[in-house]
Amino acid sequence: MAEKGETRGLLFGLIPGLKSLAERGSAGWMIIIGTLIVFTILLITALGPFISPHDPTIPNVNPPPNPSPPSANFPLGTNLLGQDMLSRILCGGSIMIQVAFLSVVFCFLIGVPIGLLSSYVGGSLDKTFTLVMDSFYAFPGLVLAIAIAAMMGRGVINLALSIGVVYVPSYYRIVRSQVLTIKELPYTEAARASGARGRTILLRYILPNVVPSIVVVATVNFADAILTAAGLTFIGLGVGIDVPDWGWDLSKGRELLPSGAWWVITFPGIMIVLLALGFTLIGEGLSELLNPRLER
Amino acid sequence: MGLRSYIIVRILLTIPLIMLLLSIVFLIIRVIPGDPVLLHFERKASEEAVEAMRQRLGLDKSLPIQYFEYLGGLFRGDLGRSMQDFSPVSEQIFSAFPATLELAICSMLVATTIGILLGVKASESYNSLKDHLIRAFGIIVYAMPIFFLGMIFQMIFAINFHWLPANGRFPPRLTEPRGMILFMNQPVGIAVWSFMIGLLCLALHVGLLRMKGVRFWGQGSTISLSHFMIVWIVGFTVWIVGFSYAQLNMSGVVRVSTGLFTVDSVIEGNILKFVESLRYLFLPSLTLGLVLSGVFIRLTRSNMLETLRLDFVTAAKARGLKESTVTYGYALRNAFLPILTMMGLQFATLLGGAILTETTFSWPGLGRYLVDRINFRDYTAIQGAVVYFALIVAVVNLIIDILYAYLDPRIRY
Amino acid sequence: MRKLKRSRRGISPTIIIVAIILIVIIIIGSLYALQIGPFAPLVKTELIMGTTDSVESAIDPAQAYDFFGWEIIQNIGATLIEVEPGSAATADDYTPALATDWTTSEDLKTWTFTLREGVLFDDETEFNASHVKYSFDRNMEIASPDGPQLNMEYDAIIDNVEVASKYEVRFNLKIPFGPFLGLMACQASSIVNPEYSGGWKTAWSVDDIVEYTEGDARASNTMDLGPYVLANWTRVAGKDHEMRLEANPNYWNKDSGYPKTETIIIKFYADATALRLAIEAGDIDIAFRHISATDIEDLKDDPDLEVHEGVGAAIQYMIFQEDPLPDLPQLNDPRIRRALAACLDRDEVVDTVFLGQYSPLYSMIPTGMLGRPVGTDGPFKVLGDANYTYAKSLLAELGYNETNKLEIVLWYETSGHYPSSPDQAQLYKAQFEASNVTTVTLKSADWPSYRLNRNDGIMHVFLYGWYPDYIDPDNYAFLYYATWLNHKYVDYNATNNYLAMKAAYDAARASTNETERIELYNELEGYAVVDCPVVPIWQGVAYAVTKTNIKGVYLDITQTWRMWLLYEE
Repeated sequence: MAEKGETRGLLFGLIPGLKSLAERGSAGWMIIIGTLIVFTILLITALGPFISPHDPTIPNVNPPPNPSPPSANFPLGTNLLGQDMLSRILCGGSIMIQVAFLSVVFCFLIGVPIGLLSSYVGGSLDKTFTLVMDSFYAFPGLVLAIAIAAMMGRGVINLALSIGVVYVPSYYRIVRSQVLTIKELPYTEAARASGARGRTILLRYILPNVVPSIVVVATVNFADAILTAAGLTFIGLGVGIDVPDWGWDLSKGRELLPSGAWWVITFPGIMIVLLALGFTLIGEGLSELLNPRLER
Repeated sequence: MGLRSYIIVRILLTIPLIMLLLSIVFLIIRVIPGDPVLLHFERKASEEAVEAMRQRLGLDKSLPIQYFEYLGGLFRGDLGRSMQDFSPVSEQIFSAFPATLELAICSMLVATTIGILLGVKASESYNSLKDHLIRAFGIIVYAMPIFFLGMIFQMIFAINFHWLPANGRFPPRLTEPRGMILFMNQPVGIAVWSFMIGLLCLALHVGLLRMKGVRFWGQGSTISLSHFMIVWIVGFTVWIVGFSYAQLNMSGVVRVSTGLFTVDSVIEGNILKFVESLRYLFLPSLTLGLVLSGVFIRLTRSNMLETLRLDFVTAAKARGLKESTVTYGYALRNAFLPILTMMGLQFATLLGGAILTETTFSWPGLGRYLVDRINFRDYTAIQGAVVYFALIVAVVNLIIDILYAYLDPRIRY
Repeated sequence: MRKLKRSRRGISPTIIIVAIILIVIIIIGSLYALQIGPFAPLVKTELIMGTTDSVESAIDPAQAYDFFGWEIIQNIGATLIEVEPGSAATADDYTPALATDWTTSEDLKTWTFTLREGVLFDDETEFNASHVKYSFDRNMEIASPDGPQLNMEYDAIIDNVEVASKYEVRFNLKIPFGPFLGLMACQASSIVNPEYSGGWKTAWSVDDIVEYTEGDARASNTMDLGPYVLANWTRVAGKDHEMRLEANPNYWNKDSGYPKTETIIIKFYADATALRLAIEAGDIDIAFRHISATDIEDLKDDPDLEVHEGVGAAIQYMIFQEDPLPDLPQLNDPRIRRALAACLDRDEVVDTVFLGQYSPLYSMIPTGMLGRPVGTDGPFKVLGDANYTYAKSLLAELGYNETNKLEIVLWYETSGHYPSSPDQAQLYKAQFEASNVTTVTLKSADWPSYRLNRNDGIMHVFLYGWYPDYIDPDNYAFLYYATWLNHKYVDYNATNNYLAMKAAYDAARASTNETERIELYNELEGYAVVDCPVVPIWQGVAYAVTKTNIKGVYLDITQTWRMWLLYEE
């Protein structure tokens, strides 16, 4: 972990601009493309209600028969209810993004403190937590999320919680392994020798060094959370139909598949893929920057 | 610590893990608001009817007693009775499991094959366009919602071109393969089957020994023919014992059946059924396998890159060995252990993905069972399915860990 | 250098693997082609029916109350009388089955049936009056809260069953009951074989319900007098997987050539999409129930398939809960309910969600039934559709306007119990909100929770549906004031309207005079339109898709398949 300084430098390296990033080869490009995708989608979602040509929730903006294929008036076609797919695409990301964001925050708030504490204190506390977290980690995440979501009922918060529970162990594990390494570094040893209190060491010396890895985990998790949210919606555990949602449109489109209404699933599906792809790219790029073992 | 004690410790560690999960699932289901008993009534029911139903569902006892009964039941393989139709949950799960297992095995095959092949290809031409394309492919499939990919495949291959079936597991006009019925008074049958089991054991054993680098022939061969004989005899004995035991239970008739349609149709010797089951299996396992392959591509690539730079590979190249021999014979073998570990870790993801795949393709497995039961709020069934998933994952991880320890002598706890 | 060059020429493992796979595929493919070619023509004595339905729990007439359970009971069980296939199930349309003749007393309280002689159970015992008594006693006494004795009020109607002689059975009723024949022809009145129903005894409990037994179809059902016997019933993962009905060698009507097809295989599909693809691919001969509207439209164009359109007796309606929910506007004033009812646009729902296949419904008594000939509208027509001026004026009286909007919560179910509920809900929301004086919040629940919410009376406005138990307005008209639907309707509207409706209903029940009954139902509905506790929305159509050569399909108002009439040409 001699790259400590370098790690920090790299994080700050994000700021000077795309150029220096692009110079870093594929990792840099991944981050640039990922960020571009994510920002575009966030922008679309934020502006969606203002720029969408029709009200996405009003049925029969297009008179029956529906679903109608893409046309001049409805560039992405309409669904069975005669709602404009383009407007639904533009407005449909908010729930998914909210859920993913909340679940990441939730994981962060639970996983990181527990990880810090458990690894720093060590002993039987550490063993217990590790056992608990490992049992969760080894468990099929989606199964757990489904079970919890089914029990807790609908709603953004409930959905975010049930997804969050699944990813807490990832944070715990990464934090713990980092802390265990950093704890042994001369830098930390020196702080301890100079009489700093445990809490100070934890917050001032260890935490900042753990942050980069957490950021990587969080970005990748964001992508996972989006996919999980989409999966839960597909199974019928989504938030509801008051607000347009890509996941809902996608699962609804399945019924229209045999009639050849490809546009009903294709566009929401692509949006979900793009969003997840954006975060995955950022996560991949970051982790490559932080672990430059493979750079030649 | 020797291998044996490592295995024992590992098994002992698995038990509290499972116990913990079981308890959490049990608690979650009991803690949620709402009375599951009331869900059972078409109309508002009288107090006595509610009490009678509570008793029937076994929810009239106190929480600790319920908990211990639940645990006790688990040890007997009893997961309670479904709250919806009062049938034993374990029976329902056992009937669903083979479908999921078949899907899981095939998807894992697809994922590892694609992952390793593409990963190796990418590492061979590091930083070239090919490398970038393969990496992009890996990342894109990783970011694909399984059901979206599945629907696209259905749209193209099943609905547009009618090449492959879109749903289900077997054509309705054929009777499902159910393996072969053997009678104990058929010595030929026994002999054939024992021989095949022996062969299987043998193959496994040889495979494992090869992985450990044991050479069987030529210079420095460390193993003799008697070794093979022993394995063969052991396999034979295991089979005979199991066979006779089954006979005791089933009055002379033994059904050789795995529940995996591909295997069962082979046992039946029916090539048509075999092909049909493959046709039905193709799209689901391709979907699930592709989505999982991203992880394997990345893993293989990075491991290969690391190994290709190691001294022994450089040395091998310098000695003028074929490039493919170096790549597949030396480097890939070195990357095998991480891939094996990843297979274990990904198994959980695989089962999660199986739920979505099964729902997309109407595949009658455990995942669909879980989703179905959620729609009916069948709490015992949900609990049972979740517990079963946990058990499978724990057992698979255990096996992989032990394999790992067996294959890599450096790993000891 | 030379060595390196040579190494390039070596065959890479990838190629070997691909080659092996190719060879395997070719071998298997050729074997496959040799072995079958196209599907070998089978000698057809069997038909395969695909469905998305399933048996909810058991196929015991004392417990079953689900659509598909009854479907099976119809074909493996036998009732005293039957509805003439294809008829409208009026009083003249009942035909003899296990009973050959029947009479009723003047006061409609005693019904006597003469039984067919020489009908055998599968254990060769002869069917007689004691079996009828046994079946009904058992039905009424099994204390299952899900059982028909509760839903169909057997208990409230039948006082006792009396064995008059070996071949004569008498039903003594508690109330004068005109539509009794309808009740006798419905599946819950099937005769069971005591040997498989808990044995001869006089006291039964919920534990005597015969449930699915793995691997034993005979032990999974109580009946064996029908045209078919249940030869196989498999569940995989607790879900119906396959059922096999085989011709009953003891069927009383066997000599007339029934059943026409020896074996009926029922395959269960997970969803409508899968079912549609199966019938399209020719995997099955008959697809019934819950093929979506878009799929029906597509399949109508398929020359190999025939889409049968049946008479629909399934209806859907909306309920305005009169209930003091603390934080929601009270719907106790009939004017609010009338206003909301006037906002609905039935045609839009029918055209959009059901592509015009269903028809708008203006009365809880569906078209095709007594007093509702096809082509007539019901009383709710007067409120109009999308009649926003009327709605606004009513709501204005109560102080609701564009600034002070009426807030309602509309509930729908998500388990697919009713077709396209989420789609409908979105439309209703848009329709209510188009009035500009209402805001709607949508809420949903899975079916069991939805039902529980209904029992608890906590849903403000919600969608509900009804499939008939027996074919008579008697089985519909009570829905207007049923307290299990609208809990506080009695308490909060203890007006004369509730009592008047109930009185009209009871009077109609005690009469067999059709004109009188029609008048009474009209009177009842007159009150219903004023109060609007329940508002009818649409009436469904039963669609079945078969191969063109399948004959004997009767999709009449009973909503059940008479599989014994099916045959392949």
